[in-house]
Amino acid sequence: MAIDRQFIGFRLAPFTVTVDGAKLRQFSAAIGLHGTGPLPTYLKVIEGEGNSSRKILAALGVELSHVLHAEQEFEYHADFHSGDALTVERTVSDIYERKGGQLEFIVVDSVIRHAGGELVGRTQQVILVRHPTPVVAA
Amino acid sequence: MSGPLQHAVVGSAVAQATFGPLDREDLRRYAEASGDLNPLHLDPAFAQRAGFEDVIVHGMLGMALLGRLLTDAFPTLKLQRFRTRFCSVIPVGRPIVCAAKLAAWHGAVAEIVLTAAPLGGPVSIEGTAMLALPGSG
Repeated sequence: MAIDRQFIGFRLAPFTVTVDGAKLRQFSAAIGLHGTGPLPTYLKVIEGEGNSSRKILAALGVELSHVLHAEQEFEYHADFHSGDALTVERTVSDIYERKGGQLEFIVVDSVIRHAGGELVGRTQQVILVRHPTPVVAA
Repeated sequence: MSGPLQHAVVGSAVAQATFGPLDREDLRRYAEASGDLNPLHLDPAFAQRAGFEDVIVHGMLGMALLGRLLTDAFPTLKLQRFRTRFCSVIPVGRPIVCAAKLAAWHGAVAEIVLTAAPLGGPVSIEGTAMLALPGSG
C-alpha cells in the first residue's frame, strides 16, 4: 500500500534530550572505542530518543519488515557535551517512489539545537520501503 | 597511510582499517546503546521474513565504523559533513574493511570518499566526508 503523500511536511512534536555521559560511553564501547572520543553518528541516537524513525514509520503505517536504511547525512555546527540539553525537531520532508511504486523512499530531516537556540547540527535520513511484489494473475 | 592529509595526492588512499568481524552479540550491544531495536538486526526469524539469510549489521553501525576511521586517522581535522549511502547489507560474522580516499580540496576543506565492505565482498556503504583543516573555521 502506497504511503499517503499527505505526510510530506509531517512535523513531529519537538522534544528535548539531555546528553547522558553514561550513554555516550555505552555507545563508544558498542562501536569498539575504548574511552571517549568524537562520535560523529551520535546525533542519530539523540534524535531517536524522542521520536525514533520506528515511531515515524508506525505513524505513516509502514510495516517495519519492509524498510531498510538507504542514506544518512550529518552536518555539524556546534559541539555538544554530556549534560547539555538539546532540542530536536524532525520532519518528513519528502516521500517519493521508484520502480513504479515498488520502492518508496521516506526522507526525514532533523534539526538539533542547544537550549539557547545555537545550531548543533542537521541530519537527513532516507528510508527505503520495499513493497512486496503484487501477485499477477495469469 | 594516515600521514598529514595536506601532503596526500588527490585520488590516493589516505586511511584504511579493518573492523570486526561483528557477531550477533555485537549487534545486540549496538542496538541497546543506540536505541535502534529493529529486530532485523536481532531476530534471525524476522530477518528471514524480511528476505535475508540472517540478521544484518545496522547500517548506522557501519557508518559509525567509517566515522572511527576518520576520527582515528585525522584527529585534528574538523568534520563538517558526513554522508553515506547503504547500497547492500553487511552480513554478520565478516570483517569490515573501511577505506578513505582524498577526492578533492575545496579551499582548506578536504573531500574524502569512503567505502565499507565485508572482506572479499561488494561495497556495502559508500560515503563522503568534508574535513576542514584546523584554524580554517
